[in-house]
Amino acid sequence: MKKITLLLLALITILQAYSYDDVLLKAQASIFPKIMLLDKKIEEKLIDGEIIYTIVYDQQDHDTAKEIKKFIDENNNGFFDKYAYKINLVKSSELSSLTQTSAIYALITSQNSKKIANIAKEKGIISFSYDINDLKNGFLFSLMLEKSAVLYLNKANLYTNKVDFVVSLLQMVKFVD
Amino acid sequence: MKNKNTKSLSTKIILSIILVFFIIIFVIFAVFEKINKEAFYNIEIEKANIIAKTIEPLMALNIYLGMQNKIEQFSLQLLENPDILAVRVFKNDKIINDIKSKEYEDNINNSFVIKKSILQPNTDKKIGTLVIVYSNQNYKKLIDEYTKWTASMLFALGVVFLLFGIYIKKLLSPLRTIAKSLKHYSPNKEIEIPFTSANNEIGLISNALNNMQQKISQYSKKQQNINNYLEEKVNEKTLELRKQLYIDNLTELPNRFSLLNDISCTDDGALLIINIDDFKEINDFFGHIAGDDILKKFSCKLKGMFENEHNIELKRLYGDEFALFFMQKPSLEHFIKTAKKLIYTVGEMIFFHENNEVSLRITIGGAYEIEKVLEKADIALKSAKKQQKPFLLYNENLNIEKQYKSNMEWVKKLKKAIKQDKIVPYFQPIFDNSSDEIASYECLIRLIDDNDKVIGPYEFLTIAKKSRLYSSLTKIMIEKSCCKFEHINCDFSINLSAEDIINPKIVEYIKQKIKKHNVSNRIIFEILESENIENYEKISYFINEMKKLGCRVAIDDFGSGYSNFEHLLQLNIDYIKIDGTLIKNLDNDLNAQVVVQTIVDFANRLNILTVAEFVHNKAVHQKVKNLKIDRTQGFFLAEPQKNTNNF
Repeated sequence: MKKITLLLLALITILQAYSYDDVLLKAQASIFPKIMLLDKKIEEKLIDGEIIYTIVYDQQDHDTAKEIKKFIDENNNGFFDKYAYKINLVKSSELSSLTQTSAIYALITSQNSKKIANIAKEKGIISFSYDINDLKNGFLFSLMLEKSAVLYLNKANLYTNKVDFVVSLLQMVKFVD
Repeated sequence: MKNKNTKSLSTKIILSIILVFFIIIFVIFAVFEKINKEAFYNIEIEKANIIAKTIEPLMALNIYLGMQNKIEQFSLQLLENPDILAVRVFKNDKIINDIKSKEYEDNINNSFVIKKSILQPNTDKKIGTLVIVYSNQNYKKLIDEYTKWTASMLFALGVVFLLFGIYIKKLLSPLRTIAKSLKHYSPNKEIEIPFTSANNEIGLISNALNNMQQKISQYSKKQQNINNYLEEKVNEKTLELRKQLYIDNLTELPNRFSLLNDISCTDDGALLIINIDDFKEINDFFGHIAGDDILKKFSCKLKGMFENEHNIELKRLYGDEFALFFMQKPSLEHFIKTAKKLIYTVGEMIFFHENNEVSLRITIGGAYEIEKVLEKADIALKSAKKQQKPFLLYNENLNIEKQYKSNMEWVKKLKKAIKQDKIVPYFQPIFDNSSDEIASYECLIRLIDDNDKVIGPYEFLTIAKKSRLYSSLTKIMIEKSCCKFEHINCDFSINLSAEDIINPKIVEYIKQKIKKHNVSNRIIFEILESENIENYEKISYFINEMKKLGCRVAIDDFGSGYSNFEHLLQLNIDYIKIDGTLIKNLDNDLNAQVVVQTIVDFANRLNILTVAEFVHNKAVHQKVKNLKIDRTQGFFLAEPQKNTNNF
């Protein structure tokens, strides 16, 4: 029985891990850092002269997070445009307002989703979510692949003094109330 | 020419309007070409630029985010604008999107290209280029529309100017009508001037012209009356003047002009000029009224003599001179016979004036050829007078013309010599017979001709007197002689004529010069006794005036005239210069010796010094000394010289 339970748990974990759309992940990994750079106040968000891009995940998505980090590093060679960056992988349960970060990208974090969004909001940094539904919890951006890639923006969280996007970005996103 | 001017006013206005019209057209087209077309083109470029500028950030964002399908989507949206023919997007230098509209091929030649750099959002980094091919159709439509409206406006403007020109012409047409009505105006004919009732400037002009017409008419009538009166007077006066011109007032005989007229009207004829001898004496003795009366009677008798001679015209030339002009040349015998008969008949005539019998003698000069007939008859008359013949007929041998010519040449020479300062004094010493020393010098006039020949006074003095140059010569001699003797301590004498002495200007000049050169105590004036001294009072006055100044006076050529000792006593003279005609034969002419002795005795009694002139040899000189004449002058002792220090 014990063995069966462990096997089921492992199977559930594996099943949960495979629920991410690999294309979407890559698209998000490509686009979100760039969107971060469209913030005119990006300089204010540097930490020790670097952009710290924090990927927040649940325990079971650690590998996914690592994959994303690897993908970003491979495509950017340590720099987002002219800024050096560092990617921190932080478990959703461990993320706090003390966590130093320039932006947060959250995978599926069902229970901590609101907390993550609030921390980002509190810190005045941009928050991206894998799941579009997380926008309801307070994340700023999400991206879906429809006929083409569509950026969604949570209108309620846009108005903050700490973020100022280029106007053209606002022309091409879809707003979510 | 006048017609042209009257036409030109309205024509000029219309031409000016046309000129202004063309200038406006030119300016509008220039503005159209230079400004509007360029502005329209710039507007289209600006439109295209605005589109590119608008779309560029979106393109930039999509390139930046790598969302290329959105780029295509935006490009297609752009092509919905009919003016955009193609959209081309470069990422760096690589085409990532190139879309063309259906109209692209048809309109590619009427298009322009806008290029816009695509910059990475939030940076200045160029990440691509947006190229938009923009159609010119809109610009062309705009230009067509503009051209259409401009042409319409110009046409309208042209019509307005044309109507304006016609209006101006119509406004000025009354002036033309007025001008036409004035064309046949004359002061004698009143015309109706149109538009007098018009209530504008034309009306004012018409009324002013009407008033002017009336005034001119009144003035013309007055002028006409004056002209008629003046014409009548002029005719009367013309007749009177014509009569005066050709008729002598006193004798009512045809005058000199009439004779000249007759001479010019014929190529045949002969002339006798009649001069009444010494008629001046009649005038002086009986008076001019009597003289005129006798002239009238004389002319009446001459008229009577020749009234039946139709070939002969009697004329009065002037004063006591008459003429008989033969209209056709008679035989020479008849011509001479007529003259002689006339002389005889006049000699027999007796005229009465206030119970006084007056008889006349005449002298006649005749010319028997028409060429220069008046001059020739005149020469003949003068020759007859000179030769004291009653009648002389002109012929070439009279030599008078030659003499006239010579006289004229001498006048020229004299004038030239005066101008060129060629009149000079020569000095001849006068010796004292007791000491044989020079007592004084006589200053004698000389003319130096062009060849430096020295000419004596006998050649030119008579001519100088006739030509009124004598006073000039006297002045020259006085000035030069006084100047010469200003610094020479010796007496000197200058010859003066009676004419000089009675000339107040010369007397004044003499006074000035002798004062100026301070020679009053050394100068001696020699007055010619041989000249007919008529006015002894004036001569005496002159001598006294000069003596008051310390000057001395000599009578020159004493014994040549009818020497009047009584007059001589009155003149208070210092010297007597005995005439050369008495001296030159003194050595062997007993009569001359007697006369000279008488003169010397007379002079001695009056304490007057005597001088013998023309002493030409030793015998005469000795005789002069024997007769106790005080001084001697003559070629035997010394000839006149240019300078005094030659002696």
